[in-house]
Amino acid sequence: MTILMEVVAEQWEYRELLVRMTARDLLLRYKQTVMGFGWAIFMPLVNTAIFSVIFTRVATIDVGTPYPVYAFCGLVAWNFFASSLRFSVTSLTSNPSLVTKVYFPREIFPFSAVLVSIVDFAVSATVLAALMLYYRVDVGWPILMLPVVFLAIVIFTAATSLLVSMANLFYRDVKYLFEIVIAVWMFATSVVYPIGRVGGRLGAALALNPMTHLIDAFRAVLLDQRMPGMAFGFTFAASIALLGIAWVTFHLAEFDFAENL
Amino acid sequence: MSAVIFEGVSKKFRRGERHDSLRDLVPALFKRAFHGAPDRQALADQEFWAVRDLSFRVGAGEALGIIGPNGAGKSTTLKLLTKILRPTRGRIEINGRVGALIEVAAGFHPDLTGRENVYLQGAIMGMSRAEIARKFDAIVDFSGVQEFIDTPVKRYSSGMNARLGFAIAAHLDPDVLIIDEVLSVGDVGFQEKCVTRMRELLARGIPLVFVSHNLSAIVQLCTRAILIDRGAVQFDGRPAEAVAEFRKARREPIAAGAAAPDKPIAITDVQLLQADGEPSPLFTTGRPMTIRVGYHARQPIRQPHVAIDIHGVDGVYCAGINTRMDDCALGTLEGRGFVDLAIAKLSLLPGCYTISAGILDPQGLRPLDLQERAFPFSVVSDRRDFGFVYLEHQWTHANGAEARPVSRHDARLSPRPARSLAAVAVQEELG
Repeated sequence: MTILMEVVAEQWEYRELLVRMTARDLLLRYKQTVMGFGWAIFMPLVNTAIFSVIFTRVATIDVGTPYPVYAFCGLVAWNFFASSLRFSVTSLTSNPSLVTKVYFPREIFPFSAVLVSIVDFAVSATVLAALMLYYRVDVGWPILMLPVVFLAIVIFTAATSLLVSMANLFYRDVKYLFEIVIAVWMFATSVVYPIGRVGGRLGAALALNPMTHLIDAFRAVLLDQRMPGMAFGFTFAASIALLGIAWVTFHLAEFDFAENL
Repeated sequence: MSAVIFEGVSKKFRRGERHDSLRDLVPALFKRAFHGAPDRQALADQEFWAVRDLSFRVGAGEALGIIGPNGAGKSTTLKLLTKILRPTRGRIEINGRVGALIEVAAGFHPDLTGRENVYLQGAIMGMSRAEIARKFDAIVDFSGVQEFIDTPVKRYSSGMNARLGFAIAAHLDPDVLIIDEVLSVGDVGFQEKCVTRMRELLARGIPLVFVSHNLSAIVQLCTRAILIDRGAVQFDGRPAEAVAEFRKARREPIAAGAAAPDKPIAITDVQLLQADGEPSPLFTTGRPMTIRVGYHARQPIRQPHVAIDIHGVDGVYCAGINTRMDDCALGTLEGRGFVDLAIAKLSLLPGCYTISAGILDPQGLRPLDLQERAFPFSVVSDRRDFGFVYLEHQWTHANGAEARPVSRHDARLSPRPARSLAAVAVQEELG
């Protein structure tokens, strides 16, 4: 526990560097790509269009809200998670000169990947708001819980980011494995369809997926005017615990990073 | 309180390759499960102690130089100091903010402009945004890349890159400064700026750790030096003595004491003698030094000339003396003997130097034997002057009325009563 307090304090000391590194990544993306932040909107929109065709024309499912809003909402949240991990997984290995030559808390790399994705999330959230207006989705007071739900998603994402960035540093093929896992994981989560409708043993197993509860809660407060349930509460608590464990593990392994890069 | 404390620090590395992919890890785990763990001896054989039981302290106002041959553990020590590596055993304590002039441009991103990189690198070194903003102009000024500050650094030359990086590092106000070979950055003018900046920090009492192969810089800049070899401290003391110790260990014997059959004459040895006639690798500014060139002549050589050159370790040619230019006749050299060059008052400032000795034909053109930069020595002194040469001097201030001496260096400018350094002219005596 004291280690955790120490690493959090140290990270706080280096908060300016975290902001700087995030700014660097955003600036680079803006300079290096023509569309800049447009990608943050473009990808979920394309996916929404594809899945809208599948689930409204081919295999029709009723999700209670207009399907494009349902899908885009899930995709925005999922994309935040997936792109955070995608940036994190190579964040340590793609900065060898910094990792082996200068000291600062290494968690800055995965954390800045998460912060960059938060900016993307904010950009695509404006499109989500526009879609909700277009489809006349009513919002109620449960939307006040949105920051709490988003915080839970950020905490779970940060914890996972720490683990994947560290794993890829020690075992370089993790990044290939990651691509497969993230693709499967998306379809095991209620991103574009309600996974809760899967019954039996498989359903029970899928119910253990924390991302499902987080995305369900995200939709509940945003689209369904519902408060998040018990499952979300458990997931939130578990995410905080996971972040603590991941952070301490990361810190203990940190000193071996330079030797393994 | 010491700013840097190393106490029994050891660092172990493993030789050989580690598994760095799951593809290798999985079979290895299976092998382990079926054949048992590899035996302890095999593991111990793969271990390698880069640093072994290293202890030292650096206090306020102290500049510690770390020297040693390649592979002695200097880089590992440096990485331990900057917290990049954690010791396997022992304790490291560093009080305050560490400013490391190592890889000063490590955080630079090629696509960002100089300005953006200053902010980024500054943050990496631990400066706050406000602090960088305040020092920004000074940093750019120091670096000398004003015109290109809004150009992406990928268009910078490597020198500009390093200068900008160093400028940022130089404006960090550290509690402990750690330097690694940065003196090789930029041109002479820039290097002087860097040394001045380091002296400024040192004068403010900021402890400094300097790791370098530039032995002269160590002697000029440091107040203390340790010699490390095979991961442990071999010597701890005055920089010039540490350097002398280091060179003694590395010096190779020459000529095997006799001339090769195909050579008419050979230099068998060059000894550097102090006033008492004792050989020493260490001399003091203003004190006598005798260079004794031993020879072995297979046949009588009539009227040859002897030449002595002194170079600074960085290649600067400090002095060249030979019997031909001094119109000095040595007579005939036969059998074994030696020629002494006595310098009454050594006017070299603290640093590391090497001596080359040669025996030339009577015309003074063709060398009969030449030992180039084979004999190192170090100079120590209380003098704080810059450069290579001590010039006898006195300050005078004229203000309308009569001119009057304001001070004599040996009376007031020197912190300690300096030895009398009267004549600077080098006298040669040939025996």
